[in-house]
Formats: sequence, structure tokens, C-alpha cells
Amino acid sequence: MKTQAIHAVPPEQLQKVTFDEAMEKRIAEIFERYPTKRAAMLPVLWLCQERYGWISPGVIAAVAERLEESPAFVEGVVSFYTMFHRQPPAKYVLQLCVTLSCELCGAKTLAHHIKERLGIGFGEKTPDGTFQLLGVECLGACGGAPVIQVNEDYYENMTPEKLDQLLSELAREQ
Amino acid sequence: MPKLTIDGREVEVPQGTNLIEAARLAGVEVPYFCYHPYLTVVGQCRICMVEIEGQPRLAIACATAAADGMVVKSATSQRVKEAREAVMEFLLANHPLDCPVCDQAGECLLQDHAMSEQGGNFASGMLETRRTFPGLERRLLGPHVIQNQNRCIHCSRCIRFTQEISETWALTYKNRGNNAYIDTFDGRPFDDPFSACAADVCPVGALTVREFRFRKRAWKLSSTPSVCPGCSIGCNIWIDHHERIVYRFTPRENPEINATWLCDYGRFLSESLNQQDVVHPKRRLKEGWQKLPWAEVFRALALDVKAAKTLRVVASGYMSNEELYLARELFARRLQGELVVPVFMGEPRKMKNGRRQWLYSQSALPNLEGAKRLGIRTVDEEGLARFLYGAADLTVVLDPQAHPFLATPEAVQLVKVSPTVVAARVDAPLLEAATWVLPAASLAANEGTWVSSTGKVQRFAVAVAPPGEARPLWQILALLARALGFADLAVTTPSQVFQWLVESEQSFAGLDWNTLLGAEQTSYRERQHVG
Amino acid sequence: MESVLLRARGVANSRDITTYLQAGGWEGFKKALSMPPEAVTQEVIDSELRGRGGAGFPTGRKWSFVPKDHPGPKYLICNADESEPGTFKDREIIEYDPQMVLEGIAIASYAIGAHTAYIYIRGEFFRWAKILEEAIAQARAHGFLGKDILNTGYDLDVWVHRGAGAYICGEETALIESLEGKRGFPRLKPPFPAVVGVFGKPTVVNNVETLACLPHIMTRGARWFASIGRPRNTGPKLFCVSGHVNRPGVYELPLGVTFREIIFEHAGGIRNGRKLKAFFPGGSSAPVLTADEVDVVADFDSCAAAGTMLGSGAVIVMDDTVDMVEVGRNLAHFYAHESCGQCTPCREGSDWCLDILNRLVQGYGHPSDPDQLLRICRFASQGMTICPLGDAFSLPISSLVSKFRNEFAAAIARAKPIPPKKLPVMPWVGKDVRFGG
Repeated sequence: MKTQAIHAVPPEQLQKVTFDEAMEKRIAEIFERYPTKRAAMLPVLWLCQERYGWISPGVIAAVAERLEESPAFVEGVVSFYTMFHRQPPAKYVLQLCVTLSCELCGAKTLAHHIKERLGIGFGEKTPDGTFQLLGVECLGACGGAPVIQVNEDYYENMTPEKLDQLLSELAREQ
Repeated sequence: MPKLTIDGREVEVPQGTNLIEAARLAGVEVPYFCYHPYLTVVGQCRICMVEIEGQPRLAIACATAAADGMVVKSATSQRVKEAREAVMEFLLANHPLDCPVCDQAGECLLQDHAMSEQGGNFASGMLETRRTFPGLERRLLGPHVIQNQNRCIHCSRCIRFTQEISETWALTYKNRGNNAYIDTFDGRPFDDPFSACAADVCPVGALTVREFRFRKRAWKLSSTPSVCPGCSIGCNIWIDHHERIVYRFTPRENPEINATWLCDYGRFLSESLNQQDVVHPKRRLKEGWQKLPWAEVFRALALDVKAAKTLRVVASGYMSNEELYLARELFARRLQGELVVPVFMGEPRKMKNGRRQWLYSQSALPNLEGAKRLGIRTVDEEGLARFLYGAADLTVVLDPQAHPFLATPEAVQLVKVSPTVVAARVDAPLLEAATWVLPAASLAANEGTWVSSTGKVQRFAVAVAPPGEARPLWQILALLARALGFADLAVTTPSQVFQWLVESEQSFAGLDWNTLLGAEQTSYRERQHVG
Repeated sequence: MESVLLRARGVANSRDITTYLQAGGWEGFKKALSMPPEAVTQEVIDSELRGRGGAGFPTGRKWSFVPKDHPGPKYLICNADESEPGTFKDREIIEYDPQMVLEGIAIASYAIGAHTAYIYIRGEFFRWAKILEEAIAQARAHGFLGKDILNTGYDLDVWVHRGAGAYICGEETALIESLEGKRGFPRLKPPFPAVVGVFGKPTVVNNVETLACLPHIMTRGARWFASIGRPRNTGPKLFCVSGHVNRPGVYELPLGVTFREIIFEHAGGIRNGRKLKAFFPGGSSAPVLTADEVDVVADFDSCAAAGTMLGSGAVIVMDDTVDMVEVGRNLAHFYAHESCGQCTPCREGSDWCLDILNRLVQGYGHPSDPDQLLRICRFASQGMTICPLGDAFSLPISSLVSKFRNEFAAAIARAKPIPPKKLPVMPWVGKDVRFGG
């Protein structure tokens, strides 16, 4: 398994967003699944995050226009859900589960380990923009606690040693 | 029609009435924060809990429809009392309790409930530091609305207002849970032609109106029922005033016209009512202006009027039906003069009624419909210019605001050629051309009726005494009529004129001056704080 | 016991539709198509299948609330928003046997007369959303989904809809709101989704595991299904065991085993030779049970009788090293983070609980704290809120306070004076993790 890095489009290029033909085509496909345009909200936002790496106000305005909603409404939806990045993310977002089973099985040790190794706490990014640590709630993989999700991929039964290995691999691959 | 019992009082209510409204009909007040009679029911605040016999759990009154035979307990239930105390404890856990410096104090639902229904007896086990929203304590959310997010109780009324009523969808929650706050897209200005209504519906001091903030404590204000002069729709308002100063307009409930809403344009006309540049009646002499007591004014003016062989009068769509009637009777019928009312559209306005239908303005004038009903000739800008272009021995302009054309140099020139009487409240270019200037009172110091473009005859009442020597226009007309020898027109109250309208005009038949005020419609709880 | 729901675990190429067909897959749907929809519903009612999402509501009865004569479209939603702490069973089914889920969706859709079904899967499950999409493509290619399925004239489209990180969207009305493209705010009930659901149309929301039971009920009959487990608590059930056990994982067991069997036989007992202290029997929203209560039977009714609930069947095991005040803090953090913020008692109460427990954990307790926690929990549950999240945080926290009051007392006895500033909420490393992204 090779975790894909996120390549976030810099903010200055996302101030005003127009969807290209490929995006429009996929949006049109999404619209066909639902009786209302609004229901395409989450799929279209996911599409944007996949494409741009994060959801800037410019992206929100573009989505709002396409879905015939007000940008405030779209922003309200975006901010309700925790998975949409509202700031450009690092290449690898380390999402450490902090909920009960993972805490019981050593998530706290992992958090301290990351702090020691990378110098970042929750909500922080390494200065080179490679890693970012987020504390997240239950990832639904408690049997493999402690769990850490890096971008889209789950890494279960993590130990400081396995984490070291993973971080080295990711740092090499970028 | 379901018949039910609330706190021991039996009441019969229309099908579909919720328990808050049913209780009100029974004379029982159920507290609420997030419920609003003209917004969707969301059941978020949980303060309206009531006990329904036969149901194990407490129910929220806002989302429960009255049913036949239901036995409801509100104030008489110990369980309800405990639940409401708990909800208050939750709400106040993070509320700053800064009532002494909060401008909502006195008209705050949270404060009222804490004081009245809990008798101010309130103990909290809260030991924590309060949650705050740094940077959102005194934020100008939009041109008219100031936000203090720390006070917000997350009722979502403002959000629902922009979604359901103004339809701008300009406000939203950001984030979720206890970290949620009210915001616009990307923190940009709250751009909504009804923005101040978001502050109106705010049950606490989280959103307040910038123009009114800290100008007057709410409990000092008296409220007088009136009608908005902003356009032809005729939204019902309260004029909130204290010691002869008008502080604000707030919407007055009328399901037919404006539900409980008011547009920003109309609302902020309130300040203009305090303006009274013309305070004395005066006559232009060669050596300059001469102030005269009213009694002499009428004597001298009557001579001028009698001397004029041709008389032309510009009335106004801002004048009441009573004033228009007097003007028509005096100038057009008795003195055989020419009488017109100028028409202009102004900026189009819209308003949502209680059935959530948009009403659109037909003109900028609140009583154009009344002028039409009285059969007075209406003229557009060109017609008005032509009217003034013709020769006359005497011109009477009853309202220089009647049409924007009257403020142009062209109009001044046209009027200048003959003696002109102008009744005015504020400075206007036309006053340069006047031989007589008579101080007229504002809407706040006047009373009468207007006909809205929806066809409804609505009365406005006297809020304040006119400043200086200013008089309501109907009085000026009545006294002039007496000076001219038409004693029968010398009424002492506009209700007399209204009675003539009822008797002589088909479209007024059957109306009653006493019930036209509509101020008895106050199901909207918020209104009970003021006046 | 034979494996039913997890029969594909360990089988080569188990996700492939040919593997599924070889194991008798899609036969249940074929059988359903040969029956009138009402008969399918009746079969499910007879099986006494109860919803596996947490509430344990009888599935067949839920379907029967859908108005038969409704003229417009109806919808089926498969709830794959598995987010209850301790729960990871649906992911297991999707991982090994996605066709079984699709067949269940097809059967349920047919029974209620839906022609569109959505699988609402939590946003973090990128991999499993892809697996489902591939499975849908295969099922469509084999003619089990799409137009005029198997020449019966029945049409069904299934779409995967991904959430984006919100526990509350596992609640069915919040899920519906979220699917409609809004913030995931639970709706006031009534009306129930079976009458007014997604896009205002009658909608049934069923959990992945519930739906996965349907092919087996159809092929082997309601009587067979009802013979597993105990009366009113029938069928195989997936138990997710996590925490301090030797073999954490998903176990398929008949309803009616005891928690002792689950923890000590199947999951291999407590790790590192420690002793059992307490466990959550049905996800973190169920009141905690102590080591003394380990002989409680793991079914819906027995759990209810023991003052807790079976919930999603997620057993979180804690050994004797665990500080129960910290457990409370961890859960309060979860629920304060996941409260949608609509209703006062849940929004304020969950955050308040977190503040108190956080303070206690950091050594700033106050003698009034346990009673204050109980008071908050009392008034945030029992119908004080729109959705069950109020109960979800109140029940476990109040159970922790009542059953481990001595630990709270000990924490308070050690307490320093309360500092006048807000304490950091997640004191591990860095900033408050809430809304860090």
C-alpha cells in the first residue's frame, strides 16, 4: 500500500475557481444520482477536495454557484464536517484516533512519539509542509487500535516502531 | 376544532395549532426562545417543555399539535419546572450574563424568563470558565447588525430568517456543537435588505441593531402603532419613542402584510421623523421672512387665497386620507382650484406576508391608493411639470417631498412666478420660492389613515407632540377652511373626516376608526416588552 | 456455530461476485423477486430480525410503516456510517463480502418498493467506499442491479454516498439531512422517515449488518433465522471486541452468549494477564458494566434488563489499570466534538461534562463535580433532546460516576485549587483537537 500525497493548490490560485470540462462532466454525473442539486453537495465537495487538496472560499463560491445555493449555506455545510480541509493541508495528514479503544491501546504514546520525532502537536504542521497531525474521533477500526489514518489509508495496530518506519517511508516517497 | 385543557383552563383551538399558541389562547404563557410564529419549528431550545397526561416523557410545546381531550400541564407541573430550570442552567452556563451592558436588556427573552418565571432565583453549579468567541464579541456583521457571539443561545432564528423569509441564505452556523457560531460566507458583510430583522428575531443580545444600540434603554420607550411611510406596501410598525424623540421603528405584527418583518429601508426612516427644520409659520416680505402667530397666518393667508382667481394645489401621496379629503373639499370643490397628486415609483420594495408570499410595492408613496380612491388626479413627473408650467394666481404645495421633481431647480423656477404657499417639515429647495411657509408635523405627530397598495385601510396614531409650532397638516387645512368661512370643514379631529369618508366614499363604507389601528394584534410575544 | 455474516472472511477473492455466486449468492434476491413484496416483508417480520445499528428496532416492522399506496418514489438507505466508538463490524462485512450487502439492499428495496438506494458510508472509509463501488459495478454487469432486473421489470439503482466526518450522521434523520446536502442536524420526529424521509419521500434506513442478514433469511427461511439466539433476540450477531483483550476483532456469535464468553473465550481474555475492570457492552453510548456484571447475556432484552444496552454489539474492554475518570473525559471529548449543536441540553451539557472531567483529570477537581455530572446527564437525556445523542453521552458518563464514584472521590481528594482560566481540552500534545482541521 502506498499512500498518495496531497498536493494542495496554494490559496492565491484558489481565490476564484472555475471548473474545467473534466470537473463539469463529473459534476453532471453526480447530479444524475439525486432528485435535487443540493444533494450533490458532499460528493461535489469531495471532488473539489480531491482536485484542489482543500476547500477554499473560492471553491465554496464555485460550488455554491454550480449547486444554485448561497455560498454561506455551502460554507455552513463544509464547516459541519471535519474531513474537509479549510486550510491547505500538508502532504501527509496524520489523523490519530484519540477515542476510547485507541487511547486504551496507546494512542497517547503515539501522540508523544510524533511530537518528539516531528516536533508537531495536534493541529500543527511540520515547517516543510510534509506532515500534519490531527486528533480525530473514532475511525471505526477499534479492533486494530491504535489506528492512524494517513490521508486516505488506515494503518492499524500502530506502535512507535511501526510509526517510525511509516514516517520514514513517507518522507522518502514525497 | 380540538378542545383541550392547559393548566386547568379549557380552550378550543383551530386544528393544527401548536401547544404554545393554544396555551396563549387559554391565557397561559409557555416560554420559548427558538420558536417564532412565522418561522419553521425546529424545537432546539427545549425551554417550552410541557407535560401531557398519558405521555411518559415531557414534550416540546412548539412541535406538538393540540389534540382533542389533551390535558397539558405547564406552570402547574413540577417535572416541567425542573426541566425548564435545567434548560436555563444549560443556556446560562456559557452566557456572559452581561445584562447591565447589554443593549437587549429589557427586551431579552432569556432575561425575562430568568427574572419572571424563575423569579430571579437561580443557582448554577457551573465552576468552569465560560466559552468565548474571541474576535466575535463586537463585530459589525453587516451595515446594520452588530454581533456578540458570546451571548448567542444557538436558537437559529436569524439563520432561518435569512433562509425562509428574506431568502438570501446569507447567515449560517459555522462549525458545530458548542463551537458553532453565526457567520456569513467568509465573514463578508451581511448583505440582506432585511438584515435588521435578523437582530429583531434574535431573542438575546447576540445580534443588535447598530443604529439603535445604546441610544435608549428598551424599557424607557413607549410604542405607538403606526404604518411605515417607506412605500405603498404599508407595513405595520411601532414607533418607539421617548420624550418626543423617535428612536426606532420596529415591525408590528400583521399576517396580511408584513407578518413581523420590516425592510431596512423602511426601518431606518425612523430617524428622519425627528427632523423638523421648519418650526415657525412665516411669510416672505420684501425685507425678509416675517414670523407670525398661527391665528394671524390664517387670517392673512385666507385673504391671499380669496384674492387668487386661479388656484393650483399639489397634494401628496404621503398625506392621509383625511388630509386628502379636506384638501379636495376645500381647494377643489369649494374654491374650484386644481388639485393633483404626483406619482413616482422610487426604488421597488418587497415584503413577505404571514403566508410567505411576496408583496411588491406599487409606488414609493404610502397613500397613493387613497388619493386614487378619492378621485384626485394623479400626475407623473411630466404631468407635474406641465401642471406647474401653467399660470396660476396662487400655488399651494402641501408637501415638498411629494415628488423628487419638486426638489429640482426647474420646479423652483416654475413655482417662483406666482405666490406660493408651502407646508413643509424639512428644508427643501422649494422653500426659496415660497411666499408662505407653514410648519407641518411628521408622521410621528400626526394621525390618520392610509390605504396600502394591497387595498387595506390602516390607521396610524399620534406618537409624539409636534415640535415648535408645527401642526399636523389636517389641522392646518381645517383651520384655513375656517378662516375662509367654511366652518363645516373645521374639524377638531381627523376621525370626523374619516366618518365623512365612511359615509360618502364607497370604498370606505363599513369601516370603523376605532378598530383600524390593529394594535390589538400582539400574539408576537416579543412585543410585550415595550409600550 | 457456522459463520453466516462472516463466511467469506479468509476466503480467496471473496469480494468477487463469482466467488459470491458460487457460495449461493444472489439466490435470496431471486427468491424475493418471485414473491410479492408484502410476503418478503412478512418473512422478515417472522424472522424477528432486529436492527443491528444500535436501537434494535424490528426491521420488518420498520418496513411495514412505509405507506403502500404512496404514489411517488421511495428510498432505501444503507447506513454504513459506522462511527459508534468500539464498532467496526460493518467495515468487516464490506471488506470481505460487499455483494452480500448489495443483495440485502436489493431485497429490502424490493420489499418496500424503492427503485433508488443510497449507501451512506462514513467519509473516512475511502477504501471501503471504493470496494462498494466496484461491487455495484459487478452486480450491475451481472444484471442484479439496474433496469429490468432478471426480466422481472423491477428497476434498482444503488449509489454510494460518502459522509465527511460526523458521528451524528449515523442517526437516521441526521443521515437523511446530510444526504440531502445539508448540515447533519437530526430532524424532529414525527414524522418518521418511513413516512417523510429523504427528499420528503418514504424512506427506510437500515444498517449494513441488518441488510446482510436478509439474503440468508430469504434463502434459508425465517424459521431458520429465528432458531438462532433467543426469543425476540434472534439471529447471528457480530460482536466487536476492542480494548485490553488478547484477540481484539469481530466475532460472529448467536445472540444470547454471555459477555464472559465473548471476552474470555472468543477474545482470549485480558491482555498482559491483567484483570477485567469494566466494559462497555454496546459501544461507548451504552452504560458501562463492571467485572461483576460480566455474566450478563448479550442480547437486546437482557442488556436492557441489566440497565444498559446491546447497541451495536461493540464490547470495549478495560483492564484494572484504567482510570475511569479519564475514560469519562475521553468519552465526553468524543460527544462534545460530535454534538451537532442544535438542542441546548446536548450542546451545552456535553461540553460542560467535558470541562468538568477535563478539570478532574488534570487534578483540579471539586467536591460538587460528581453530582453536577449526574445532574447534567439527567437533564440531557430522557427525551430532553431531539435525537438520542443526549442519552448517548449521558448514560455512559452517569454510569461511570455512579459505578466508580470512589475513583472520582479519589481524584477530588487529590485536587488543587481550580485555576481561573480555561484549561486546554486535549492535554496530550499541541492544541485543542476539536476543529483543528
